[in-house]
Amino acid sequence: MREASQVRDGWDDEQLMAALREAMRARQAVPDWFVETGRSAYAWHNIDAELAQLTYDSSRDTERTAVTRSENASIRALTFASPHLRLELEVSGHSLLGQVIPPQAGTLETHTRAGVTTSQVDEIGCFAVDPIPDSPFRLRCRMADGTDVVTGWITL
Amino acid sequence: MRDDPSVVALVERAAGSDQSAWNDIVDRYAPLVWSICTRFQLNSQDTEDVGQTVWLLLVEQLGKLREPAALPGWLAKTTAHECLRVVTAARKSERLGRLDDAMQFADDTVLEEEVLTAELNAGLRAAFAGLPLRCQQLLALLLTDPVPSYAEISSALDIPMGSIGPQRGRCLNRLRRSPALIALVEGDIGVAVAGGEPGA
Repeated sequence: MREASQVRDGWDDEQLMAALREAMRARQAVPDWFVETGRSAYAWHNIDAELAQLTYDSSRDTERTAVTRSENASIRALTFASPHLRLELEVSGHSLLGQVIPPQAGTLETHTRAGVTTSQVDEIGCFAVDPIPDSPFRLRCRMADGTDVVTGWITL
Repeated sequence: MRDDPSVVALVERAAGSDQSAWNDIVDRYAPLVWSICTRFQLNSQDTEDVGQTVWLLLVEQLGKLREPAALPGWLAKTTAHECLRVVTAARKSERLGRLDDAMQFADDTVLEEEVLTAELNAGLRAAFAGLPLRCQQLLALLLTDPVPSYAEISSALDIPMGSIGPQRGRCLNRLRRSPALIALVEGDIGVAVAGGEPGA
Protein backbone atom coordinates (compact mmCIF):
# COMPACT_ATOMS: atom_id res chain seq x y z
CA MET A 1 0.00 0.00 0.00
CA ARG A 2 1.24 3.48 -0.79
CA GLU A 3 1.93 5.70 2.19
CA ALA A 4 1.98 9.45 2.08
CA SER A 5 5.36 9.61 3.84
CA GLN A 6 6.92 7.74 0.92
CA VAL A 7 6.07 10.66 -1.32
CA ARG A 8 8.52 12.88 0.50
CA ASP A 9 11.11 10.46 1.74
CA GLY A 10 11.09 7.30 -0.32
CA TRP A 11 10.07 8.08 -3.85
CA ASP A 12 12.35 9.08 -6.66
CA ASP A 13 11.20 11.44 -9.38
CA GLU A 14 9.86 8.66 -11.60
CA GLN A 15 7.73 7.20 -8.81
CA LEU A 16 6.45 10.64 -7.91
CA MET A 17 5.51 11.33 -11.55
CA ALA A 18 3.69 7.99 -11.74
CA ALA A 19 1.78 8.79 -8.54
CA LEU A 20 0.88 12.24 -9.84
CA ARG A 21 -0.34 10.72 -13.10
CA GLU A 22 -2.52 8.28 -11.16
CA ALA A 23 -3.90 11.11 -8.97
CA MET A 24 -4.91 13.08 -12.06
CA ARG A 25 -6.41 10.02 -13.71
CA ALA A 26 -8.52 9.24 -10.62
CA ARG A 27 -9.98 12.75 -10.69
CA GLN A 28 -10.58 12.71 -14.45
CA ALA A 29 -12.41 9.37 -14.14
CA VAL A 30 -15.19 11.11 -12.19
CA PRO A 31 -17.88 12.44 -14.53
CA ASP A 32 -18.94 16.08 -14.16
CA TRP A 33 -22.54 15.11 -13.39
CA PHE A 34 -21.39 13.12 -10.38
CA VAL A 35 -19.53 16.11 -8.96
CA GLU A 36 -22.52 18.33 -9.75
CA THR A 37 -24.84 16.01 -7.79
CA GLY A 38 -22.59 16.47 -4.78
CA ARG A 39 -22.33 20.24 -5.15
CA SER A 40 -26.09 20.68 -5.45
CA ALA A 41 -26.71 18.76 -2.21
CA TYR A 42 -25.59 21.93 -0.41
CA ALA A 43 -28.98 23.43 -1.25
CA TRP A 44 -30.29 21.38 1.69
CA HIS A 45 -27.86 22.99 4.09
CA ASN A 46 -29.52 25.14 6.74
CA ILE A 47 -33.01 24.27 5.55
CA ASP A 48 -35.24 25.31 8.40
CA ALA A 49 -37.50 22.29 8.03
CA GLU A 50 -37.42 19.80 10.85
CA LEU A 51 -36.11 16.40 9.79
CA ALA A 52 -38.69 13.63 10.04
CA GLN A 53 -36.91 10.32 10.42
CA LEU A 54 -38.11 6.91 9.38
CA THR A 55 -39.56 5.24 12.47
CA TYR A 56 -41.40 2.37 10.83
CA ASP A 57 -41.11 0.45 7.56
CA SER A 58 -43.32 -2.58 7.02
CA SER A 59 -40.77 -4.11 4.64
CA ARG A 60 -38.24 -4.27 7.50
CA ASP A 61 -40.79 -5.60 9.96
CA THR A 62 -40.37 -9.33 9.40
CA GLU A 63 -42.51 -10.39 12.36
CA ARG A 64 -45.49 -8.34 11.27
CA THR A 65 -45.02 -9.32 7.63
CA ALA A 66 -45.21 -12.99 8.60
CA VAL A 67 -48.46 -12.47 10.49
CA THR A 68 -50.19 -10.36 7.88
CA ARG A 69 -48.73 -11.91 4.76
CA SER A 70 -51.93 -13.71 3.80
CA GLU A 71 -54.05 -10.59 4.00
CA ASN A 72 -52.11 -7.70 2.53
CA ALA A 73 -48.59 -8.74 1.70
CA SER A 74 -48.34 -6.12 -1.05
CA ILE A 75 -49.08 -3.09 1.14
CA ARG A 76 -45.99 -1.16 2.15
CA ALA A 77 -46.41 1.19 5.06
CA LEU A 78 -43.90 3.78 6.28
CA THR A 79 -43.91 6.21 9.18
CA PHE A 80 -41.76 9.32 9.48
CA ALA A 81 -41.74 11.31 12.69
CA SER A 82 -40.38 14.68 13.76
CA PRO A 83 -40.92 16.28 17.17
CA HIS A 84 -44.02 18.12 15.89
CA LEU A 85 -45.47 15.99 13.12
CA ARG A 86 -45.93 12.41 12.06
CA LEU A 87 -46.35 11.23 8.47
CA GLU A 88 -48.09 7.93 7.79
CA LEU A 89 -47.45 6.66 4.25
CA GLU A 90 -48.96 3.75 2.40
CA VAL A 91 -48.10 2.49 -1.05
CA SER A 92 -51.24 1.71 -2.97
CA GLY A 93 -50.81 0.56 -6.54
CA HIS A 94 -49.05 3.32 -8.44
CA SER A 95 -49.70 6.04 -5.93
CA LEU A 96 -48.55 6.92 -2.47
CA LEU A 97 -51.23 7.88 0.04
CA GLY A 98 -50.36 9.77 3.17
CA GLN A 99 -51.73 11.42 6.24
CA VAL A 100 -50.28 14.12 8.44
CA ILE A 101 -50.82 13.72 12.18
CA PRO A 102 -52.11 15.80 13.89
CA PRO A 103 -54.47 16.40 10.94
CA GLN A 104 -54.39 19.84 9.31
CA ALA A 105 -54.25 21.44 5.88
CA GLY A 106 -51.06 22.44 4.15
CA THR A 107 -48.81 22.05 1.15
CA LEU A 108 -46.81 18.97 0.23
CA GLU A 109 -43.62 19.21 -1.81
CA THR A 110 -42.15 16.14 -3.47
CA HIS A 111 -38.43 16.69 -4.06
CA THR A 112 -36.62 14.49 -6.56
CA ARG A 113 -33.35 14.98 -8.39
CA ALA A 114 -35.40 16.33 -11.28
CA GLY A 115 -37.06 19.04 -9.22
CA VAL A 116 -40.02 19.78 -7.00
CA THR A 117 -43.73 19.09 -7.49
CA THR A 118 -46.35 20.53 -5.19
CA SER A 119 -49.69 19.11 -4.06
CA GLN A 120 -52.25 19.91 -1.40
CA VAL A 121 -52.78 18.38 2.01
CA ASP A 122 -56.52 18.53 2.80
CA GLU A 123 -58.05 19.65 6.11
CA ILE A 124 -57.98 16.14 7.56
CA GLY A 125 -54.28 15.86 6.71
CA CYS A 126 -54.59 13.53 3.71
CA PHE A 127 -52.56 13.73 0.52
CA ALA A 128 -51.57 11.63 -2.50
CA VAL A 129 -48.36 11.44 -4.51
CA ASP A 130 -49.16 10.08 -7.94
CA PRO A 131 -47.23 8.65 -9.65
CA ILE A 132 -44.66 7.46 -7.14
CA PRO A 133 -41.27 8.87 -8.17
CA ASP A 134 -39.01 6.14 -9.54
CA SER A 135 -35.93 7.76 -8.04
CA PRO A 136 -35.24 8.68 -4.40
CA PHE A 137 -37.41 11.53 -3.13
CA ARG A 138 -38.09 13.57 -0.02
CA LEU A 139 -41.45 14.87 1.16
CA ARG A 140 -41.63 18.31 2.69
CA CYS A 141 -44.81 19.36 4.52
CA ARG A 142 -45.50 23.04 5.07
CA MET A 143 -48.52 23.11 7.31
CA ALA A 144 -51.08 25.84 7.93
CA ASP A 145 -49.82 26.39 11.48
CA GLY A 146 -46.28 27.03 10.22
CA THR A 147 -44.88 23.59 10.98
CA ASP A 148 -42.29 22.72 8.32
CA VAL A 149 -41.04 19.14 8.15
CA VAL A 150 -38.95 17.22 5.62
CA THR A 151 -38.46 13.45 5.48
CA GLY A 152 -35.22 11.65 4.81
CA TRP A 153 -34.73 10.19 1.33
CA ILE A 154 -37.34 7.61 0.38
CA THR A 155 -36.88 4.89 -2.23
CA LEU A 156 -39.90 2.78 -3.09
CA MET B 1 -8.17 23.91 -0.85
CA ARG B 2 -6.37 26.69 -2.66
CA ASP B 3 -6.15 28.77 0.50
CA ASP B 4 -6.16 26.08 3.13
CA PRO B 5 -5.25 22.46 2.65
CA SER B 6 -6.90 21.47 5.89
CA VAL B 7 -10.05 19.43 5.59
CA VAL B 8 -10.97 20.53 9.09
CA ALA B 9 -11.08 24.16 8.00
CA LEU B 10 -13.12 23.27 4.92
CA VAL B 11 -15.70 21.45 7.02
CA GLU B 12 -15.92 24.36 9.45
CA ARG B 13 -16.47 26.83 6.60
CA ALA B 14 -19.05 24.60 4.92
CA ALA B 15 -20.87 24.22 8.25
CA GLY B 16 -21.37 27.98 8.07
CA SER B 17 -22.74 28.89 4.67
CA ASP B 18 -19.79 28.73 2.32
CA GLN B 19 -20.75 26.99 -0.92
CA SER B 20 -17.20 27.24 -2.29
CA ALA B 21 -15.84 25.35 0.74
CA TRP B 22 -18.51 22.71 0.17
CA ASN B 23 -17.56 22.51 -3.52
CA ASP B 24 -13.94 21.97 -2.52
CA ILE B 25 -14.96 19.13 -0.22
CA VAL B 26 -16.98 17.53 -3.02
CA ASP B 27 -14.16 18.00 -5.56
CA ARG B 28 -11.66 16.49 -3.16
CA TYR B 29 -13.73 13.46 -2.20
CA ALA B 30 -15.85 12.75 -5.29
CA PRO B 31 -13.10 10.39 -6.56
CA LEU B 32 -13.30 8.41 -3.30
CA VAL B 33 -17.08 8.05 -3.46
CA TRP B 34 -16.91 7.31 -7.18
CA SER B 35 -14.19 4.70 -6.78
CA ILE B 36 -16.17 2.79 -4.16
CA CYS B 37 -19.30 2.86 -6.36
CA THR B 38 -17.15 1.50 -9.18
CA ARG B 39 -16.07 -1.42 -7.02
CA PHE B 40 -19.71 -2.31 -6.49
CA GLN B 41 -20.24 -2.11 -10.26
CA LEU B 42 -23.33 0.07 -9.89
CA ASN B 43 -25.02 1.39 -12.99
CA SER B 44 -25.02 5.15 -13.46
CA GLN B 45 -28.50 5.70 -11.99
CA ASP B 46 -27.64 3.72 -8.86
CA THR B 47 -24.33 5.56 -8.66
CA GLU B 48 -26.17 8.86 -8.79
CA ASP B 49 -28.61 7.69 -6.10
CA VAL B 50 -25.73 6.69 -3.86
CA GLY B 51 -23.85 9.92 -4.51
CA GLN B 52 -26.93 12.00 -3.82
CA THR B 53 -27.65 10.22 -0.56
CA VAL B 54 -24.05 10.31 0.66
CA TRP B 55 -23.65 14.05 0.06
CA LEU B 56 -27.04 14.83 1.60
CA LEU B 57 -26.14 12.85 4.69
CA LEU B 58 -22.91 14.81 4.87
CA VAL B 59 -24.78 18.11 4.49
CA GLU B 60 -26.91 17.14 7.47
CA GLN B 61 -23.82 16.12 9.46
CA LEU B 62 -21.77 19.24 8.73
CA GLY B 63 -22.44 21.01 11.99
CA LYS B 64 -22.32 17.81 14.01
CA LEU B 65 -19.07 16.19 12.90
CA ARG B 66 -17.04 15.97 16.08
CA GLU B 67 -13.89 15.06 14.25
CA PRO B 68 -13.90 16.62 10.82
CA ALA B 69 -10.50 15.01 10.19
CA ALA B 70 -12.25 11.62 10.21
CA LEU B 71 -14.36 12.74 7.26
CA PRO B 72 -12.75 10.53 4.57
CA GLY B 73 -13.32 7.42 6.66
CA TRP B 74 -16.91 8.45 7.31
CA LEU B 75 -17.48 9.05 3.60
CA ALA B 76 -16.01 5.68 2.63
CA LYS B 77 -18.12 3.82 5.16
CA THR B 78 -21.30 5.70 4.31
CA THR B 79 -20.76 5.17 0.58
CA ALA B 80 -20.22 1.43 1.05
CA HIS B 81 -23.31 1.28 3.27
CA GLU B 82 -25.43 2.99 0.59
CA CYS B 83 -23.94 0.81 -2.18
CA LEU B 84 -24.90 -2.28 -0.21
CA ARG B 85 -28.40 -0.91 0.25
CA VAL B 86 -28.75 -0.40 -3.51
CA VAL B 87 -27.32 -3.82 -4.33
CA THR B 88 -29.63 -5.45 -1.77
CA ALA B 89 -32.65 -3.67 -3.21
CA ALA B 90 -31.63 -4.71 -6.73
CA ARG B 91 -31.31 -8.30 -5.59
CA LYS B 92 -34.80 -8.25 -4.10
CA SER B 93 -36.23 -7.19 -7.41
CA GLU B 94 -34.22 -10.02 -9.01
CA ARG B 95 -32.33 -7.76 -11.33
CA LEU B 96 -29.06 -8.85 -9.81
CA GLY B 97 -27.69 -11.67 -7.73
CA ARG B 98 -24.39 -10.42 -6.52
CA LEU B 99 -24.90 -9.44 -2.90
CA ASP B 100 -22.28 -11.92 -1.72
CA ASP B 101 -19.74 -10.43 -4.11
CA ALA B 102 -20.69 -6.97 -2.95
CA MET B 103 -20.17 -7.68 0.74
CA GLN B 104 -16.41 -7.98 0.27
CA PHE B 105 -16.19 -4.40 -1.04
CA ALA B 106 -17.68 -3.07 2.19
CA ASP B 107 -14.91 -4.70 4.21
CA ASP B 108 -13.08 -2.26 6.51
CA THR B 109 -9.67 -3.22 5.08
CA VAL B 110 -10.83 -2.53 1.53
CA LEU B 111 -12.34 0.80 2.57
CA GLU B 112 -9.23 1.86 4.47
CA GLU B 113 -7.17 1.21 1.37
CA GLU B 114 -9.64 3.26 -0.68
CA VAL B 115 -9.33 6.12 1.81
CA LEU B 116 -5.52 6.00 1.85
CA THR B 117 -5.32 6.03 -1.92
CA ALA B 118 -7.92 8.79 -2.23
CA GLU B 119 -6.15 10.91 0.39
CA LEU B 120 -2.78 10.49 -1.25
CA ASN B 121 -4.27 11.36 -4.65
CA ALA B 122 -6.13 14.38 -3.24
CA GLY B 123 -2.94 15.53 -1.51
CA LEU B 124 -0.96 15.19 -4.73
CA ARG B 125 -3.57 17.13 -6.70
CA ALA B 126 -3.67 19.87 -4.06
CA ALA B 127 0.13 20.02 -4.04
CA PHE B 128 0.16 20.24 -7.83
CA ALA B 129 -2.45 23.04 -7.76
CA GLY B 130 -0.21 24.93 -5.33
CA LEU B 131 2.86 24.83 -7.61
CA PRO B 132 3.92 27.92 -9.58
CA LEU B 133 2.23 28.07 -12.97
CA ARG B 134 5.46 27.27 -14.85
CA CYS B 135 5.86 24.05 -12.87
CA GLN B 136 2.25 23.10 -13.46
CA GLN B 137 2.66 23.66 -17.21
CA LEU B 138 5.86 21.65 -17.41
CA LEU B 139 4.60 18.73 -15.32
CA ALA B 140 1.25 18.69 -17.14
CA LEU B 141 3.12 18.30 -20.45
CA LEU B 142 5.34 15.58 -18.99
CA LEU B 143 2.21 13.78 -17.74
CA THR B 144 0.63 13.79 -21.18
CA ASP B 145 0.30 10.42 -22.85
CA PRO B 146 2.29 10.00 -25.01
CA VAL B 147 4.93 12.28 -23.51
CA PRO B 148 5.95 15.04 -25.96
CA SER B 149 9.59 15.23 -27.02
CA TYR B 150 11.91 17.69 -25.25
CA ALA B 151 11.97 19.69 -28.50
CA GLU B 152 8.18 20.03 -28.40
CA ILE B 153 8.21 20.96 -24.71
CA SER B 154 10.98 23.45 -25.30
CA SER B 155 8.97 25.12 -28.02
CA ALA B 156 5.65 24.98 -26.13
CA LEU B 157 7.03 26.54 -22.94
CA ASP B 158 9.76 28.64 -24.55
CA ILE B 159 12.57 27.20 -22.43
CA PRO B 160 15.91 25.70 -23.53
CA MET B 161 15.88 21.91 -23.92
CA GLY B 162 18.80 21.64 -21.51
CA SER B 163 16.85 23.13 -18.63
CA ILE B 164 13.81 20.84 -18.90
CA GLY B 165 15.38 18.06 -16.83
CA PRO B 166 16.67 20.33 -14.03
CA GLN B 167 13.38 22.27 -13.91
CA ARG B 168 11.43 19.04 -13.70
CA GLY B 169 13.58 18.02 -10.71
CA ARG B 170 13.08 21.37 -8.97
CA CYS B 171 9.32 21.26 -9.57
CA LEU B 172 9.06 17.76 -8.13
CA ASN B 173 11.06 18.84 -5.08
CA ARG B 174 8.65 21.72 -4.56
CA LEU B 175 5.83 19.20 -4.83
CA ARG B 176 7.43 17.06 -2.11
CA ARG B 177 7.65 20.07 0.21
CA SER B 178 4.04 21.14 -0.40
CA PRO B 179 2.00 21.87 2.76
CA ALA B 180 -0.81 19.73 1.29
CA LEU B 181 1.47 16.68 1.35
CA ILE B 182 3.10 17.54 4.64
CA ALA B 183 -0.34 17.71 6.28
CA LEU B 184 -1.00 14.25 4.92
CA VAL B 185 2.29 12.87 6.22
CA GLU B 186 1.76 14.35 9.66
CA GLY B 187 -1.48 12.45 10.02
CA ASP B 188 -3.77 15.44 9.72
CA ILE B 189 -6.20 13.20 7.87
CA GLY B 190 -8.13 10.38 9.46
CA VAL B 191 -8.19 7.09 7.59
CA ALA B 192 -9.87 4.83 10.11
CA VAL B 193 -13.20 3.52 8.92
CA ALA B 194 -13.78 1.03 11.72
CA GLY B 195 -16.32 2.00 14.36
CA GLY B 196 -18.96 4.70 14.18
CA GLU B 197 -22.17 4.14 12.30
CA PRO B 198 -22.77 6.09 9.14
CA GLY B 199 -25.54 8.54 9.71
CA ALA B 200 -28.32 6.74 7.93
